[in-house]
Amino acid sequence: MAAPNILLVEDDPSLRTLMVRALRENGFAVQPAAAAGEMWQAFERGPVDLILLDVMLPGTNGFDLCRSLRQRCDAPIIFISARDSETDRVVGLELGADDYIPKPFGTRELIARVRAVLRRPPLARDDGDEGQGLLRFDGWTLSLPRRELKSPTGAIVELTGAEFDLLVSLCDNAQRVIARERLIELSRARLGDSSDRSVDVLVSRLRRKLSGAGRDAPILTVRGIGYMLNVPVTRA
Amino acid sequence: MTARLPGRPLGLIGQIVAILLLTVLIEFAISTLLYERASQFAVRDDEARRIAEHLVISRHLIAERATEDRPAMARDLTTDRYGVTWSPARPNSAPISPPLDGMRDQIIAWEPSLANTQLDVRLASPGRSSVVTGSFQLRDGSWLLFRTLEPVHGLNLATERIALALIPAAALVLLGGLAVGRVLQPLRQLAAAADRFGGSGEEMVPEQGPADVARVIAAFNRMQARIRNLIVDRTQALAAVGHDFRTPLARLKLRAEAIAQADARDAIVADIAEMEAMVASLLAYLGGEEDPEEPVPTDIAVLCATMVDNAVDRGLDARYLGPLHLESRIRPVAFKRAIANLVDNALQYGSQATVTLANLGADFQITVEDNGPGLPENMMARVLEPFVRLDTARPRDTVGFGLGLPIVARFVEREGGRLRLRNLPQGGLAAEITLKRR
Repeated sequence: MAAPNILLVEDDPSLRTLMVRALRENGFAVQPAAAAGEMWQAFERGPVDLILLDVMLPGTNGFDLCRSLRQRCDAPIIFISARDSETDRVVGLELGADDYIPKPFGTRELIARVRAVLRRPPLARDDGDEGQGLLRFDGWTLSLPRRELKSPTGAIVELTGAEFDLLVSLCDNAQRVIARERLIELSRARLGDSSDRSVDVLVSRLRRKLSGAGRDAPILTVRGIGYMLNVPVTRA
Repeated sequence: MTARLPGRPLGLIGQIVAILLLTVLIEFAISTLLYERASQFAVRDDEARRIAEHLVISRHLIAERATEDRPAMARDLTTDRYGVTWSPARPNSAPISPPLDGMRDQIIAWEPSLANTQLDVRLASPGRSSVVTGSFQLRDGSWLLFRTLEPVHGLNLATERIALALIPAAALVLLGGLAVGRVLQPLRQLAAAADRFGGSGEEMVPEQGPADVARVIAAFNRMQARIRNLIVDRTQALAAVGHDFRTPLARLKLRAEAIAQADARDAIVADIAEMEAMVASLLAYLGGEEDPEEPVPTDIAVLCATMVDNAVDRGLDARYLGPLHLESRIRPVAFKRAIANLVDNALQYGSQATVTLANLGADFQITVEDNGPGLPENMMARVLEPFVRLDTARPRDTVGFGLGLPIVARFVEREGGRLRLRNLPQGGLAAEITLKRR
């Protein structure tokens, strides 16, 4: 398989050079662009597998750019931003960005996020386009674009990145047993979090968070095999 | 040429003078009315008749005497009830003695012969006992003065009069006070606004009240706007610098990875991490004001427990005690930052952090306790101010600008809650946040 082609839009020349180097060293093909104009030209040179986009480009708003990008192609977009305000992050993700890397970041984090987004099945993206990316089970609502869990009463329930990913994996395999090993593998896909907590700890924390009003969380332990979300999941 | 503005409010002094004038005018009107009413006071018919008879007899007897005998006769005519004096000339009536016209009419009704004698009946020295004095002219032009020696029945209005005079006076004092209070009301609003200034939100005081006060309020509003603009400008500039800092930091971080020497690289990476934390805390502190985050229903208990889990995952000793779930409307990002700061702080100064969540019904309370050295009492308020660090007694190992607790304090203030720091009896510090459950 050919090296994934990454379009990097970053206005700071040195940072752009450093990022290009870091990405190339990790086996990606990179097309650098300093601004929106260069970015559009880059599209004419060939297919793009992923776009790394600095939100704060001179003259344009990264969010607007993201919106027009979304109309032209469905390559995944990762925002790079010097602002890490949660609101910015959510707005970016809701506009259809696939991830959000706050500055400053290290090579490890950058590569991990790029790989994770590239690994994500394109099917999941289509889902996001069709609906609002909401998963519902047992009264709970999981919003994929906002990476947010809401309780049956509508309250936000805080999840760590690893817990969120684990819950998404359980939902994707609802009413089927997932082997522990598979879950560990899936959680490894998220390197940025670097949490070395075992899947069991994450599951027990999720259970605690998903329990409510005298009811146990709908996550079953299947001894010797793995775990199962034992309620149906609907998508919207 | 500017015409005088119609309806332009009077100055403060003008308004107070107007109030005084109004008060005095009303008092004057009421007193006059009372004074007038005194003349309507009537005595019992027999009293008037007795006076009338005594006057007629006195007139008759004195008129018969020679001039030199008249004072003696007058003395003889003085009884226990009435005093009689003769005077060759018209006596001056006491300055404050309301005429008793009603009584005069009663007397004349009994003795019409007194009608043409310039009979004058007055209430002597009102306010004390109701003694009636009077005078009338004899045919030869001299005057006979009389006064009652006992208070006249039915005329005993001293206390009534005082009370009557006091009621309008008291009412007027009250009215005047209220009116002055109304004039000064905008000033009080101004004071309250000045007190609140610096809190959340901008508050323009309505420009009302006397011209001077309105001018002060207008000036205050302009000053408020200027200060606000200044702060916003500075904040934005500082925030922009903070954001801009992150690009060179990102470059540094990427470049540091290329350093071959492991210990130098680790040291540089640690320095970058510290700078990153400083920028983050600065932006968090500055960002509170313009943060568009809205309060949303949030599971407080899960959030607190997650902050504890995060600390545990970093290999630190933290515990959460409290319910599994507790929902309330809150700004989740700011709240998360506040709890994280408190937990970080606790683990900075102690080796163990305990987060306790208590449901108090209408409120809920989060307490973050550590087992560190606690805080000297005189530092309790200071640590909530930005850029204050307690490094004097400690090695400089804190990360950031000492904005951890100020960020918490700002958040709590914005949510309308209370933040309290106290030393624990067993040692260590407890930070206690009390918030309304919404």
